[in-house]
Amino acid sequence: MKMKQILSLLTAAAMTLSLAACGTDASDAVTATAQPTPAAETGEQASEATASPETAAEQTVYPVTLTDQAGREVTIESQPETLVSGYYISTSLLIALGLEDNLVGIEAKADTRPIYQLSAPELLELPSVGTAKEFDLEGCTALEPDLVILPLKLKDAAASLEELGITALVVNPENQELLNEATTLIGTATNTMDRAQALLDFADEQEPRLSDTLSGTEAPSVYLAGNSDFLSTAGSEMYQSDMITMAGGTNVAADITDTYWAENSYEQVLAWNPDYIILASDASYTVDDVLNDANLAGCAAVENGNVYQIPGNAEAWDSPVPSGILGAIWLSSVLHPDICPEADSLAVIDEFYQTFYGFNYSEISE
Amino acid sequence: MDSITVKSANKTKLFCAAGVALLAALAAASLFTGKYPLTLSGILAGEEMQLRVFWTLRFSRMVVGVVGGFALGTAGFVYQTVFRNPLASPDVIGVSSGASAGAAAGILFLSGAAAVTAASFAGALAAVCLALALSALDRAGRNSTIVLAGIVVHSLAQTALMCLKLTADPERELASIEYWIMGSLNGISGYSIGDNLALCGVCLAVLFLLHRQILLLSAEEGEARMLGVSVEKLRLAVLLVATLVVSCIVSLSGLISFVGLLAPHGARLLTGRNHTGTMFLGGLLGGILLTGADILARSVAATELPVSIFTSLLGAPFLIFLIVRGRQKT
Repeated sequence: MKMKQILSLLTAAAMTLSLAACGTDASDAVTATAQPTPAAETGEQASEATASPETAAEQTVYPVTLTDQAGREVTIESQPETLVSGYYISTSLLIALGLEDNLVGIEAKADTRPIYQLSAPELLELPSVGTAKEFDLEGCTALEPDLVILPLKLKDAAASLEELGITALVVNPENQELLNEATTLIGTATNTMDRAQALLDFADEQEPRLSDTLSGTEAPSVYLAGNSDFLSTAGSEMYQSDMITMAGGTNVAADITDTYWAENSYEQVLAWNPDYIILASDASYTVDDVLNDANLAGCAAVENGNVYQIPGNAEAWDSPVPSGILGAIWLSSVLHPDICPEADSLAVIDEFYQTFYGFNYSEISE
Repeated sequence: MDSITVKSANKTKLFCAAGVALLAALAAASLFTGKYPLTLSGILAGEEMQLRVFWTLRFSRMVVGVVGGFALGTAGFVYQTVFRNPLASPDVIGVSSGASAGAAAGILFLSGAAAVTAASFAGALAAVCLALALSALDRAGRNSTIVLAGIVVHSLAQTALMCLKLTADPERELASIEYWIMGSLNGISGYSIGDNLALCGVCLAVLFLLHRQILLLSAEEGEARMLGVSVEKLRLAVLLVATLVVSCIVSLSGLISFVGLLAPHGARLLTGRNHTGTMFLGGLLGGILLTGADILARSVAATELPVSIFTSLLGAPFLIFLIVRGRQKT
């Protein structure tokens, strides 16, 4: 047994050396984020004889070394008991993974996130560690957490925490793919990969289900109006554009390739003449404002009353939160009420929140 | 001496005529620039949608570009003359920062574009009234006191703006505030510009009626007094009217950089004089700069760009050219 361990350690050392030797391959190690690095694998190999391969994939064996979404190598010595999350998306993810009781500090302005109130109201009592603009390094350190999860914007704070001897993991859930990666990363770090996998499977099942149901139907044109201003919209590079496509619509602004909300004019909206206007979940104006906007008279969506706002009763589904897939499901019922009945969509939404967040969505959306 | 004055006056007239022609050409070009596929035949045939887009959006935006630029250029000339300071602009006595803080408060606490316009207008006026009231504390009535009071108000307004930004939600209000500060004629429509343009027109008329007195203010104070001008009251009145002009435009468009500073300098460098004709030419240059910049702002990219980028990009080389040309002459 000892001999075997020494051998596997030697193999790992050799692999590391060969990686370091050829510089080009080293970049592969960075791109392969959320994958346990050789050190972790040797641990698994050691216990392979006793555990079946399936459970080995779900159970994290500590210490584990992960490459986070800032490309940093992070070693977690033992299963973290106390957690701090500095970003609403990772906080929501931790609730979905059933770790809300392990949280000892979260980001500021928690009271603006209804999902906390609905699923884990005790989070609202936790100390705040600040925002992505103003992170409270001292306050976070004082909580002495085993693991801190931060957004990419705070990667400098992560480095400072590291120097103070606190383990920090940086995530960057900017789109569905990166969110999936972050889910695996956090699932592995906190030994909750079984639940993380269930979360990933849920989204994976919905996508083909929607595309099967919607195949062959005509895709109406959709204008997605942004949070700050009706005249800002999401181009094809944005998360929101994928939501429209998945729900069987065509984004009128698909030619715009900005990665952030792009400003356009009333003339442009009238020229696009969308069949539907969908307002972002956090829009600072209302559906009535749009319907009564004299500048939009003559636009098909306004003339036919096809102006809707993405619900934000629980979470903003037009952002890459774990429940983001529900935005596409909701929108499919708006765009295609005959083939995607609202009741069906509501059932899926209910199932999601019941499974991962433990509350009944239908009750709160009335 | 007389012949030089006549020659110079003729030159000013020539420049003004050329300015009017160029501004008219740009205004016409502006009517043909935009994302909606307008056709001349459609407009002439009286198609409802074509007419609506043309009048409420395209035409209104052109008018605000021309009038707004003219107003900023004229007001800039007035500020520089009254303060006898080539760096004076609406920023000096806190108009712009007051308008920004007002707009930010409007974005945060009120709803609708009209409310934001009103709030920024109120912010600009409040800032200037405060600056003038502070300067009135100085019995000697020195010119520099107004500038100092303006700097105080400017930094106070900036602080207020910073506090408002800090409380703003980064996804929604903060983005709106930032975009407002960058300035754009994008949201302009025929439904929202009437009051502002009317007030702006009246104030501009007053400024041109007072042109002699404004030029007298640029003379040494004792000299002006000897000519029978009540310096302090007149200065107060002129500054207030010029501020109203700027507030009317800025509350519609957001901050537009450089026009108020550059246009009067351009006019003076072109004519070599400080005269009523120069004031008019300053207005024309402002109109040309803003209309030209707005044409670029809505046509160079698939999206709308902030107009201030182009007023600076177009204006800076022009000003440098004029300065270099002036050097070579002397």
